[in-house]
Amino acid sequence: MSQFLQAAAYGLVQGGLLALVAVGFSLVWGIMNVVNLSHGALAVTGAYLAWQLNVHFGIDPFLAIPVVAICMFGFGYVLQRGLINLVVNAPIFLTLLLTFGLGLVILNLLQLLYTADDRSIDTSYASQSFAISTVNIPYGRLGASLVAVAVTVLLALVMTRTRLGRAIGATGMDRGAARLMGIRARHVYAITFGISAALAGIAGTMIATVGSFNPTSTPSQLTLDAFVISVLGGLGNMYGALVGGLVLGVAESLGGLLLTGTWVNAIAMAVLIVTLVIRPTGLIGKAQYSGRVEV
Amino acid sequence: MTTAAPNAGGAAAILERHRHGRQERLAAWLRSRTLANSWQWLAGLVIFIVMLGLQQVMDPGTQRLLTSVFLFVALAQGWNIIGGYTGYASFGQVVFFGLGAYTVAVLMNNYHVSFWASMPVAILVGVAFAVAIGIPLLRLRGHYFAIATLGAAEGSREVINNMTPVTGGGLGITIPTFGAQAPTAYFGKPGFYLAFLIVAAGAVLIAAVLSRSRFGYAMVAVHQDEDAAAGVGINTTRVKVVAFAVSAAIVACAGGLYAFQQIEFYPTDVFDANFTVLMVIMVVIGGSGSVLGPLVGAVGLELLAQFLRVNLGTYNQLIFGAIIVVVVVFFPQGVVNFFRDAWRTRQFSLLDNVRRYRL
Repeated sequence: MSQFLQAAAYGLVQGGLLALVAVGFSLVWGIMNVVNLSHGALAVTGAYLAWQLNVHFGIDPFLAIPVVAICMFGFGYVLQRGLINLVVNAPIFLTLLLTFGLGLVILNLLQLLYTADDRSIDTSYASQSFAISTVNIPYGRLGASLVAVAVTVLLALVMTRTRLGRAIGATGMDRGAARLMGIRARHVYAITFGISAALAGIAGTMIATVGSFNPTSTPSQLTLDAFVISVLGGLGNMYGALVGGLVLGVAESLGGLLLTGTWVNAIAMAVLIVTLVIRPTGLIGKAQYSGRVEV
Repeated sequence: MTTAAPNAGGAAAILERHRHGRQERLAAWLRSRTLANSWQWLAGLVIFIVMLGLQQVMDPGTQRLLTSVFLFVALAQGWNIIGGYTGYASFGQVVFFGLGAYTVAVLMNNYHVSFWASMPVAILVGVAFAVAIGIPLLRLRGHYFAIATLGAAEGSREVINNMTPVTGGGLGITIPTFGAQAPTAYFGKPGFYLAFLIVAAGAVLIAAVLSRSRFGYAMVAVHQDEDAAAGVGINTTRVKVVAFAVSAAIVACAGGLYAFQQIEFYPTDVFDANFTVLMVIMVVIGGSGSVLGPLVGAVGLELLAQFLRVNLGTYNQLIFGAIIVVVVVFFPQGVVNFFRDAWRTRQFSLLDNVRRYRL
């Protein structure tokens, strides 16, 4: 039983981390109808940024979050305004290919700069944990998932309570009508992508704090996880990614306890496909986004 | 239809009339053939013969390079049938490649079946799997179909990976190729050049015949407007599933041959998502929804990728990524489609072309 509780607790904190990766991905997908295959690459870029800040200036990764977020926001804004806006109306394979190529460029630049070695940010608290009766909870992962929850709530507030958030939502629902209301779609799209990149950067920072990362295998795994979580949670709701992430985290953790080998990965994919076929709106997503014809 | 004249001479007469009609149609079709409307078939035949002839004077390096080009021509043509013509962007087409490869390897290694008997089974397995997952998944559209197929590919890899007693799991599988243990003697470089050339030519031929058939027009109709296609009486589900199955058959065939060529491989090799990505890139950059597009894309990109790998070393992936970005921005409809339209309209401006999908 305690083993079961331990796995569930670990799954919850791991799920929070995964959710943080997926929030930005799901935002861009929902608003712009772009599946950003370079999302994992952006997360790893943020991780290197935080690592660099930690190594050279000794800044704690949790304190580095605002710096990373601002840098990644600027990078994301420029990317969308200068590049992705050029093909945003094209059929889906084009945006997929463009972001795939973009990811390839970013990752190879990182690899040239930092080599393909595994890296991690070392902190005094990352390896420590506290216990609630028999369940151990590591400080680093708990902090990371709290950041994930806080960021998600903040994003949801921005999206529903501010003028900018409503402009983003309106552009996502009907771009033509939004433009007629005086919303500059190019600018709004660029801000949306900037927010997504900033969230990816924060997620990367947290991943670097609780584990290790490299420019070869980490990004594709993160992008795939973001994919699965966005579908599971559903689009059009900021909490979708959070719910999807927690469900995936707990399911993988418990699955790892019950199944041998890598069967758990096969189960995750089966869950993904069944969700798509039976309930394409996701667990708490809005029907508008899955009914949309996207060709 | 045959039901229009019930019992007029019985079934034999109906069949006779039917066959007679077919012969007449064939004769009319042959009379209608001129150099102007057959040159594409002739050009294809000439290229095939030239490729056969060139093999005699080719050094081993070029032969190996062209063998991989042929592999990608077949894969790109396969993807184009579902992704280009029918408009369903499958991001898991590599699953059929992997299944084809593992079917051949398991049959040859575990059961000592000859390569020639294994290949049809591999194609059948690919088709059966395509129908099984196609019926539920082809109801999804756009990105949702893309992810579902991606999930199917990743999931299948994990299943193969964990079926260790049958497939060898993560330790890989080896096809016996020497001595009395070998069910079929290894082809060697010249043999595989020929085999991949035939597979590639077959894929091009299937695509060419399909695209000119009634079924081909049905695929394009589904692509352009599925509801309207259903409205004019096309069974869209059947069209989509058959297109998916044909695509799977081509990819599985290439996968089976690839397995025999590689001798030893791992699940991560033949279920590598990069194969899917390359198929998509080649078709989109060449020009989707045409026979020439994937051909140009596969030949051009594979030659380019090999050139970069040899000459640029560590920078090759970086440059490859940058080229994808630039080509997608400047030729969003594909190189072949751009030049065909530009030739017809005399509009060669690349900047106008960029504006096409700009926000």
